[in-house]
Parts: sequence; structure tokens; C-alpha cells
Amino acid sequence: MTHDPRSLQKTRRVYLDHNASTPVHPDVVAEMVPYFGEVFGNPSSVHGFGRAAREAIDVARDRVAAFLGTRPEEIVFTSGGTESDNFGVKGLAWARGRGHLITSKIEHHAVLRTCQALEAQGFTVSYLPVDETGMVDPDDVRRALRPDTIGISIMHANSEVGTIQPVRAIGAIAREGGIPFHVDAVQTFGKVEIDVDAFNIDLLSFSGHKIYGPKGVAGLYIRKGTKLVSVQHGGEHERRRRAGTENVPGIVGLGKAVEVRGREMKDEAVRVAALRDRLWHGIRDRVPDVRLNGHPTERVPGTANIAYKHVESESIVLGLDLKGIAVSAGSACTSGSIEPSYVLVAMGVPIEWAMGAVRTSLGRSTTADDIDYVVESVEPIVRKLRAALPVGAA
Amino acid sequence: VRYSATLVEHFLNPRNAGLMRDPDGAGEDEFEGCGDLARVFLRVRDGRAAEVRFQSYGCGPTIAAASAASELIGGRALEDLVNLKAREIEDALDGLPDDRKHAADVVAGAVRAAALDALRRRGV
Repeated sequence: MTHDPRSLQKTRRVYLDHNASTPVHPDVVAEMVPYFGEVFGNPSSVHGFGRAAREAIDVARDRVAAFLGTRPEEIVFTSGGTESDNFGVKGLAWARGRGHLITSKIEHHAVLRTCQALEAQGFTVSYLPVDETGMVDPDDVRRALRPDTIGISIMHANSEVGTIQPVRAIGAIAREGGIPFHVDAVQTFGKVEIDVDAFNIDLLSFSGHKIYGPKGVAGLYIRKGTKLVSVQHGGEHERRRRAGTENVPGIVGLGKAVEVRGREMKDEAVRVAALRDRLWHGIRDRVPDVRLNGHPTERVPGTANIAYKHVESESIVLGLDLKGIAVSAGSACTSGSIEPSYVLVAMGVPIEWAMGAVRTSLGRSTTADDIDYVVESVEPIVRKLRAALPVGAA
Repeated sequence: VRYSATLVEHFLNPRNAGLMRDPDGAGEDEFEGCGDLARVFLRVRDGRAAEVRFQSYGCGPTIAAASAASELIGGRALEDLVNLKAREIEDALDGLPDDRKHAADVVAGAVRAAALDALRRRGV
């Protein structure tokens, strides 16, 4: 038998990588289209073409603000979650010039590497540990506080394991100490409830393409009165906080995506969480030596990080890809260096499990049939891989 | 998929996977830093590899490379297998992406070690 590449096209396709990106919602596409041609003006221009574009941005900003329960002027649009994180963390550090930051070991690289860059500039950073479920202990935040602490940045949920952090408790500690609190909510915005006032969040990063909006557009919520300097200079866009001509179609799309999420989020969370559990239970019942990484209950609805003992995750990803199923490897073997996920390492997941971790992230289009197909497909792949295992290896 | 159809086929249907009891030669190689591991067992007849089995742990290409090598080396003289080049295994897979060349390296290393082991056991 030879592999026929065309067979892939006939294969069923199941996308379980929504934490990486999502397809743009058809309503979002429809809303964006006029802003590529018909309404093309520069929102900074005073003429009619410009004003039409400006109005579209205002509508999008209102929608995001309404969704988050904030004032429209507290929302700044950016080019992506990474820019939002850079803006939030560097912006508050640079506004203070020197001092100490608190973050966790499992932040996205957009925060971690930003903190490392700040260390090189003379700031000090505490990287807090997490427990075996991937959760930060608010008491650790309290203990890490110093007289010169100038900011706390803790993600709302981690993309790999989906564990939701106790941001309410951490926010209370931040508020008590009068320290600005940044939350990277890229993986939770539009998926779970976020109350910036109840959680005492001063800065919140969110992104469009994780919630069925377009790529290349995101935002940062900046609580009124938060001292923040810009990281990108130029024109007077976004109330002088973020220079650069606005990505009008993208912002329109983000606004629409948020509006749709406002309607769909709550019911979908229940449905997707049920499918996620169907997946885990199905695999657990059929495949020996598997474990679920992450918090059993405090978890983003669509995320299941499942580890297969003694099997390398990339082999499973390849096997599933050949069955038309898209998932993501928890470890990456590139250019000969293996990187077990730093998140799983921080959680203390043993190496023989961390190497075989596979992230599945479900979304609005995932069906029960999809999940059953994935469960059926996983078992023979893992069985075959294990059959070739060297005794005592891994 | 960024891999060749041949590689994919070997990955899906690995040939000669599994342990060999009382082999005439056995060798192992590990790709440092990556953890990929291949183990090759040889049954020797008239100085040639008469039967080949392998075990491997690693990414898809490593499993495919071991499978392809197990076919490639059948019937070949031990003295030649001691010099087996990774390139030959890569060619048998119709190529490997740059960041997966180590799959052929680690399998070739295991074959060379197994051939050398068989020669040593023979008392050369």
C-alpha cells in the first residue's frame, strides 16, 4: 500500500486547535468586507471618508467596552496579543523607571520574554511557581511583594493546559498594595466571564483571532488613571497611547466577534466543556497510561491537555494529522533539541509524561461526532507507537 | 503534511518493529538533546543481515527511518553496514526536512553499532 496524498482530501477534517487560532465567524467576515474597499479612509482624516472609518472604530470600541463592562476610552486597539502584553508590561514598568515585577513561570512568552527584557534593563522580576494543576498560589503573590514592586502580571488562563488562575484573589492583593495588575486574558476573553472591576484588573490583554475574529488585531484594556507609557511612538492615534494608523477592517471584525461572543459565550461554554469531557473520558477508557494535565475543574471549557506515557507527542500529532485531525504537541523537537513544554515542567509533570502531552482545544464548530472520531483514531495510533518502543526507553 | 509519501507510509505501517530474541548483533543510538532513540537487532547468516528488527522512540520521522532502514539493510554484508551513511536512509524515505535529518542519523548510528556488535561477537 502506498500513501496517496489525495486521500487526505477525502479524509474527514477535525480542527481541535482553537487555542492556536479560530476560523473567522461568517458574520464577522461580512461585517469586515466593506472596510477593505467601500470604507477605506484613514480614520484620522477629517473628510467624510475618514469619518466613516472613525465611526466604525467607535462602534467596535463600544462593543468591546460593553462586553467588558468598561468605558470605551479605556480600550486601546493593537496588532495582536503579543503587542498588548508588551504594551501592558513594558508600559507600566517604563512609566515607573525602576522596580520589581511579579509574574509566573507559565506566562506566555509575550509576557515572559518581555519581563526578561526588562530585567536586562535593570528591573527585577519574581517568577512565581505553580502547583501540579498549573495554578498560582495567591499567597505566593503576597509573599513576593516588596516595597519596590511596581506591577503584577498573571495570565487568566494558560493556553497549553487551560488552568484558570485565581485572578480575583490576586487582584485583591494587588489593589490592597496599590500595585497595578495586568492580566493576559488572550485565552479566556470571550470564553469565560471577566469582570475587570470585581477582579481589580488594571490592564487586560485580549485578542481577536482566538474568538473567531481576524488575526492581526487585539486590544488592551487600560483602567482610567493607570500610569502607563506608550511603547510605540508616532502619530496621535488611540488617544496618543498607541501610534499607527488603525487596522480598520480588523478592528471592525474584532468588534463584531466580541458582539457575537456576547450572545454565544455562556451556552457554548457548557456545550464545549461537555465535549471536552467526552473526549477525555473516551480516551481514558480506551487507552492505557494516559493522564489529564491541568486543573480538573478550574479550566477553560474547550481545553484538554492529555499526556500519553512513553510516546512522543509529535508522533501522535503526525498520526492524527494523517487522519485529518488537528491538535498540538506539548513538546517540540526542532533542530535536534527537545523542549518539553516549560509549562508542564513548571507544573512538575514527570518527563515521561511531559514528552507525550498533546493539547486539544475545542470550539464552536466541534461536534460530538468529531470527538468520537478522534477517540477512535487515537487508540490505534498510540498502540502502534508503543509497539515499536524500546524496552525501558523513555 | 510536510513529509514525503514514503515516510508517511513507513510511519503508518512500520516494518520489522519489535524486539528480537537472542540477536547476533544489537546496537543503539540516541540523538543527544532530543531524546530520540533507535535500537537495531540483527540476525546474521553468511556474514549478512538476514533478519532485522528495530525499536524506536521519537518523532514520526525517526520511526519511519527505522522502518525504512530495516528494509534497506536486509541482505547486506556486516562490513558494509558498519559504514552505513544516514544519507542512504534519508534517500530511502525520499528526503527529510532539515530539522528532522537527525532521524536518519540516529537510525544509521544504531545500524552501525549493531553491525559492529555482530562482527565483534563473531570474534573479528
